[in-house]
Amino acid sequence: MAPRLVLTGASGYIGSRLIARAQQRGCEVVALGSAGATGEFAPALSAVPWRLGETPTITALVGATAVLHLAHDWGSDRRDGTGPGNANLVGTEVLARTAREAGVPRFVFASTTSARPQALNAYGRIKHATEERLRALAGGEDHILCARVGLVYGGPERGQYRLLARLASLPLLPMIGIDREVQPIHLDEVCDGLLTLALDPPAARRTVVLAGSHPLSFGAWLRMLRRSRHGRHLALLPMPTGLALAACRLSSVIPFVPTIERERVLGLAGTAPMDSAADLAALGLVLRDPARALTNCRPARRRLIAECAALLRYAAGAPVRSPGAIIRLARIVRHDPAFRHALPWPTVRWPALLRFIEPVRPAMHHGLARRLHLAAMVAETLEPPLRQPRLGTIVAQVALEALALPFRLLLSGLGA
Amino acid sequence: MSDFDAEVIVIGSGPAGVSAALPLVEAGRRVLMIDAASDTEALGGPWQRKLGAHLESLTPDDGLSPKLRTPEARRTIGAFKRQGQDKEEDFVTTGSLARGGLSRIWGAFVSEFDDDDMSGWPLTAAELKPSYRAVVERIGVSGSSDDHMADFYGRCGPLLPPPPLDPTAASILGHYAGRKPEAGFALGLARNALLTIAREQRQACELAFGCLWGCEQGAIYDARQDIARLRRHMESFALRDRTTAVRLTRTAKGWEVATASGERSLRAPRLVIAAGTLGSLRLIAPLLDPLPPLRLLNSPVMAMPLLVLRRLGSEPPAQGYALAQLGFRLICSQARGDYVTGGLYAVSGLPPSSFAARLPFGRRAATDIFRALAPALTVATVYFPGHYSANQVTIRQSGAGPRIHIRGGVTDQFPQIADSVRQRLKKIWRRLGAHALPGAALATAGTDAHLGGLFPMGAPQPYGTSRFGELNAAPGLHLVDGSVLPSVPAKFTTLTIMANADRIGRHLAGAA
Repeated sequence: MAPRLVLTGASGYIGSRLIARAQQRGCEVVALGSAGATGEFAPALSAVPWRLGETPTITALVGATAVLHLAHDWGSDRRDGTGPGNANLVGTEVLARTAREAGVPRFVFASTTSARPQALNAYGRIKHATEERLRALAGGEDHILCARVGLVYGGPERGQYRLLARLASLPLLPMIGIDREVQPIHLDEVCDGLLTLALDPPAARRTVVLAGSHPLSFGAWLRMLRRSRHGRHLALLPMPTGLALAACRLSSVIPFVPTIERERVLGLAGTAPMDSAADLAALGLVLRDPARALTNCRPARRRLIAECAALLRYAAGAPVRSPGAIIRLARIVRHDPAFRHALPWPTVRWPALLRFIEPVRPAMHHGLARRLHLAAMVAETLEPPLRQPRLGTIVAQVALEALALPFRLLLSGLGA
Repeated sequence: MSDFDAEVIVIGSGPAGVSAALPLVEAGRRVLMIDAASDTEALGGPWQRKLGAHLESLTPDDGLSPKLRTPEARRTIGAFKRQGQDKEEDFVTTGSLARGGLSRIWGAFVSEFDDDDMSGWPLTAAELKPSYRAVVERIGVSGSSDDHMADFYGRCGPLLPPPPLDPTAASILGHYAGRKPEAGFALGLARNALLTIAREQRQACELAFGCLWGCEQGAIYDARQDIARLRRHMESFALRDRTTAVRLTRTAKGWEVATASGERSLRAPRLVIAAGTLGSLRLIAPLLDPLPPLRLLNSPVMAMPLLVLRRLGSEPPAQGYALAQLGFRLICSQARGDYVTGGLYAVSGLPPSSFAARLPFGRRAATDIFRALAPALTVATVYFPGHYSANQVTIRQSGAGPRIHIRGGVTDQFPQIADSVRQRLKKIWRRLGAHALPGAALATAGTDAHLGGLFPMGAPQPYGTSRFGELNAAPGLHLVDGSVLPSVPAKFTTLTIMANADRIGRHLAGAA
C-alpha cells in the first residue's frame, strides 16, 4: 500500500513542491488546512479542513505514515508574540499529540536554522520554543523529528525566495546583515530531505539541519542571485540594522508607502550557521552547486537565449532563423563554467558591437572568445550554408578591425 | 557462441585484425574475433554528424586537430583514452576500442613499402607483394598509375580512376607538369582507399565533403566493411561484441583470454593480437615483466598552409572530398629511406572555425577572411621518417594493469632537418605557384598515429617477434598490427600493416 503522508502548510512555497515530490515517490498525501488554499495546487490531493490551533479530526490521521508539519501562523506571531498563547506553539503541540493518539509513527516538524532562544526575530524564537515543547512531548523517543531548514531557493518564485530574487534584480541595494552567513539549500533538496525523514529516517537523529553545508555571507548570496539570474554585478550598500528598523517604523506610519515588516528585517539580520554536513550525508543528500542551480530560472534562461541568438548572428554574419541552432548553443554555453558574465546589453541588441569588445588575443579561457568559437561551430551547421564572402570582404574586414582595435584593447574585459 | 571451438582468437576488429582473419577463415580455419565495441549507431542528421547527438563536439577549441574533434573521432578513440592509465608527455595517445578501429578516421592514403623502406626487416618487399595485391583489390584504391608518384606508391593491384581534382590542387599540378621538377621532388595524384566506382555494399564517393565526419556512402575504406565480409563465413567465423580482452595467459593447450566482463575465459591454440600499436602494448606488457624501456617509432608530421594567388577570388568548389588530393615526395639525403612525403588537402572540406580561431583577427573578421581565401588555400602535410622520432615507453606493472608512460621526442638533428625541409619545400611550392603562409607547425607526436617499432619483427630480445609476428617470449601469440613494424618510413603505414597481417594470416592458415 502507498504510504500516506499528512501535510500542513500544503499551499506554501515548500509545501506545494513537497506534495509533487511525494506523489512522484508514490505517496498518498492528505493536506490539513483551509480547503481553498490546498485545492488549487494539487488537484489529486485529499484535503481535510483544519486551522493551526485546532485539534484535527483523528480519522484524518489514522493510518498515516507520518505527519509533516510545515504550516506557520505569522499573524499569531504579530498578535501574541512569543507568549504561551501563540497559535504556532499551542497548535503544533496539539497536532503532535493527536498524531500520537492516532498511532502515526512519525511527526516531522519544519523548523529553521534561526531557531535559537535569543534569535532577533520572533520567528526564530517561536520555532525554538516549539522544538523545546516537542522534545518534552517526545520524552526519550524518536518519533518526533525536527528539521532545521536553511535559506531555501529555487523552484517557483514564492516566499522569501521571491523577495530576495526581486531585491537582486536591482543594481544597487542597501542591505542589512550582509556579513551574516547563510546556508542556501534548493527547494527540491529540502523536500527530499523532509520526505526521507518522514518515510525512512536515519537512526538516532531527532534534529537535523537541512541547509547548505558551505555557509556564505548574505551579501555573497545576493550577488550570486543577481549574477546567476541577470549575469550582472550587484552593488551592496551596508546598512545598520537600527536604520533599517527605523525605516520599517517610518514605512508603517507614512501613508501610501508599502509597509516593510520588522520581522523580515530582523530575520535577515539574525542568522548564524549550523553544521549540516553530517545530517545531509545521513539523509543521502548531495547538494547541487547553487550558482549553477540558480541559472535554471526564467530570467536567466531568457537572457541566455537572447545572448546566444546575438552570438550566432555575429558569428554567422546574417540573421539566424533556426531556433534549434540557438538552443544547441545555449545548452553548451549554459553548462560551461567559464561563462559567468553576461554580455553587455547593447551587444545583445546589436550583435555587430561584439566586434568592439572581443579580446585582442583570442584565448580560449576568455569567456567571449570561447562563446564565439562555439557560435562559429554551430553556424557551420546551418542550412542553407553561409554565403561565400567576396574577396573585397577582406579589405572591409581589415579596415573594421583597425577601427575596432583601440576599443578592443580597452573593452575586452566586458565579455570576459 | 560459447561452444564455438576456435583455432585462432583475433583480438581487435581494425584493419590489421580483419586482414589477418580473412585468409584464415577463407582457408576454413575457425576464427573467433573479439571486439571491445559493437556495431555502432547511425551517424545522424547534418548537425549531429558535425556537433554530435549530445553536442559532445561542441567544445571550445583545445588545440586538437579538427580531425580528432569530430563526433566520429570521439566515438573512435574516446573509449581507448578512458580505458588506459597511460601517462603521456609531449605525446598524444591514439588508439581505438571501436568497431573498425582507427580506420574509421584514417586519412585513407595508401602506399606500398619498397626494399629501401624495409631495410632491417626480416623479409623483402617481394614477399609482401601478394598480400599488397590482395589488400588493394579488397579495399578499393583510386589513383593514377602513370604519373611521377606511381612507382613510389607501388604498382600492386588494380587502381580505380581518381576522383575529380580540387581546382586549387589541379592548378598546382598543372604548374608542376609545365616545369622541370627539382631534383628529388616528385608530385602526383594522391592514392586513396576511396571508391570512385560502387562495389558490393559500398557506394562511390558522392563528393559531398563529408569525409571528416564519417563517410556516409562507405566510399572510404574502413575495416567494418571487412567485418561484413568475414561474417559471410558463418561456419568458420564468429565475432564477440563488447568483449574487452584484459589478460592473456598461456596454458598447456595454447592461450586463454580473460575479458573485462568477467565471463568464462576464451581459449584457443593461437592468439592474434591486432589491438593497434598502443592497444597491443597494454595487452602484451604484463607478459613481458620486467620490460626494459622500449623505443616507439612514429613519423613526425608537419602541416604547411599554402596560398595559390591565382585562385584568389574564385568560387569555392561545389563538390569535392577532404582526403588528400595530391601526393609528393622529397628526398632528404642519399641515405636509404631518407625522404619526406605527404599530401595536399583542399580546405573546403574542413571546418573554417578551427582555422579562424588561429587568425590574429576578431572572430567575425577571421571567419570572413578565411572563407574568402578558402578557394585559394590548400594544406600540405609533410611526414618525416620514423628514425627521427625518439619516443620512449616505460612500463610499470601494477595490480590494476600496466601503467604506461610515453615520453614523446625527436632526435637531436631533427629540428635542423625539419627546418631545411620546410625551406626547400617553400621554394618548391613557390615555383608551383603556391605561397607558404606563416603557421607551419609540427604536430605533437602520436596525434597522427603512424606508430611502430615496439615489438619489431626480427629483433632477438624477448619483446621482439619472429618474421610472422610471433612474440619471442610467448610462442603461439602473434602480433599483426603496427607494433611489429621494424621501421616506420615516412610513407603511410596502414596498407603495409594490412598486407603484413594478411601475410601472417596466410602463414597461420597453412600452419595452424
